Amino acid sequence: MQERPDNSDLAPDPPPPPSGMQAMPQNLEFKAAILLLFLIVLVCGSVAYLMYARGAFESTQELVLLADDSEGVVVGMDLTFSGFPIGRVSRIELSTEGKARMIVDVAEKDAHWLRTSSVFAMERGIVGSTKMRAYTGVPTDPPLPAGAERTLLVGDVAAEIPLLVASAKQLIENLNGLTAAESALSTSLSNLQGLTEKFNGPHGALGGLMGNEKDAKKLVATLDRANSVLTKVDGLLVKADNQIFGKDGNSQATIVQLNAMLGEARASLKKVDAVLVDAQAISANAKIATSDLDVLRADVDRSLRKVDQLVTEINRKWPFARDTELTLP
Amino acid sequence: MQCGVILRQSQKSTHTDDAMQRPAIRCYHVCMTVNASPFNSFWHMGRTTLRWFISGWRIVLFSMLVLTLAISPATYHRENRHAIAHQIVLGTFQNLIWFSVLSSLISLILIRIVVITALSYGLSKYALEMVVRVLVLELIPLTAALFVALRRTLPDGVELAEMRRRGDLALLQQQGIDPIRREFFPRAVAGMFSVLMLAAVSCVLSLILAYLSIYGFTHWALPGYTRVVGQIFNPAVSMIFLLKTIFFSMAVSLSPMASSLYDTRDTPLHSRSKAANELAAMVRLFFVILLIEVASLMGNYY
Repeated sequence: MQERPDNSDLAPDPPPPPSGMQAMPQNLEFKAAILLLFLIVLVCGSVAYLMYARGAFESTQELVLLADDSEGVVVGMDLTFSGFPIGRVSRIELSTEGKARMIVDVAEKDAHWLRTSSVFAMERGIVGSTKMRAYTGVPTDPPLPAGAERTLLVGDVAAEIPLLVASAKQLIENLNGLTAAESALSTSLSNLQGLTEKFNGPHGALGGLMGNEKDAKKLVATLDRANSVLTKVDGLLVKADNQIFGKDGNSQATIVQLNAMLGEARASLKKVDAVLVDAQAISANAKIATSDLDVLRADVDRSLRKVDQLVTEINRKWPFARDTELTLP
Repeated sequence: MQCGVILRQSQKSTHTDDAMQRPAIRCYHVCMTVNASPFNSFWHMGRTTLRWFISGWRIVLFSMLVLTLAISPATYHRENRHAIAHQIVLGTFQNLIWFSVLSSLISLILIRIVVITALSYGLSKYALEMVVRVLVLELIPLTAALFVALRRTLPDGVELAEMRRRGDLALLQQQGIDPIRREFFPRAVAGMFSVLMLAAVSCVLSLILAYLSIYGFTHWALPGYTRVVGQIFNPAVSMIFLLKTIFFSMAVSLSPMASSLYDTRDTPLHSRSKAANELAAMVRLFFVILLIEVASLMGNYY
């Protein structure tokens, strides 16, 4: 706390300057002006750089891209061509048909990459922002004019996800149904397990096929009997073979006899053949005769009819006989 | 007590609203009685809240005062201009180089961490954008403001409070010098200028270091880099960034000055020790900075 001097005769000493202002360096205002100027230059330079970065000093031409929706597209987004940004979205609005209308400012120095046949696509990935790309298939086509309108092809991975999820959900539900405890697959598998257990049983696959041990035993017994029968037949065949084709067998004589019998049968058949030919001739004659008999018969009938008419005429004209028999009703 | 009375009278005649202090003086002594009833607790909470609002209102008043002085031609008379220049040079020159070096080192480390991490996850194309958004847009203005607050404006506020306590300000007034124009205004302006300068220089250095860290010493990546920076700094983001930096500078400069101007020995803050007062002023300043940061984040990302 500062106290004033009591002695009024003496001139008051000049008060000490407040602290903080005692040692003043030289050229303060000049240094402050330098700092101020530096700050102004820095800020203006930054503003100019940002304006250049946003394309304020770039000559551009307009390109209008139409899409069903502009979700993911923001003003300032790049339009790339082969990975190089050639344009920037400057405005997004709705068209009269309700479609999204994106106005892209394409740098004039890069506009020659866009042709009338160029295709524009918008990709929406799951991770990352939306991208707009331009593709030119025929570089010799006429250049795209300023203000041209083109439809944007949209590829949205995220939009396919709900469909994929729905399909996956359906698949999982089906799988759940298939693998449920009371499902047909589970029952089949448990049956298969039982079957394999039976296959591993004492009778093996046979026991599983037959279903029970008793039938399996029957089949085994049947097989044994069949084996024994086959063994016997085999023995029989061996004997028959010996009998027929063996050294002591009479198969050769039998065959010779058979040959002779066959020759005789052949001769008999030839005779029969001749008889048949005769019989055929006879039957042909009989057939002719039968047809002649018919004619003869017809003649005889005609003659008899004539005789009958003659007799009737004679009886009418000259009744030789009188019928005395009375026929009562 | 004499200088305190003089100062209160001088405040009545020039700047402060002394009528608001009298109820505070009476209420303060009554409420110091310890009483465990809930009514008194609510009463105490209410008074604390009111005190907070009053101190906030005083900061706004001081801001208007500084703005008025800034557009007043009398503020830029020779002596005042000299004082302003002195404070600007004192507050900025000493801190500029140190802060630039420090922020460059920290920026390099952060850029390296971000780039390596992004590379390991296959997201290297997002590394640059993340570096610019995190460093330039968020971290650097905040650190510049905190640096200036801790190195310059908070000590200035304490110094002014000491000067007022010693009676230096009253002495100036007796000499016909406006202490607000001679002491408070230059420090406030110097604080704001310092924050803006440090933030601008560090942001530019960070952008340069980001380019060199990612692409190396080649100019072929400059068009792509420029394009990415241009996409980040759209008009909305640029405006929010600018406003945030300005509000940071104002908060850092005006809050300590307002405290040193308006806090008297009748207010509870002043009745504690010097360290407690400084801590309370720091907490209030950090609260204001936090509010500004939250508002800017909401504006950018919400």
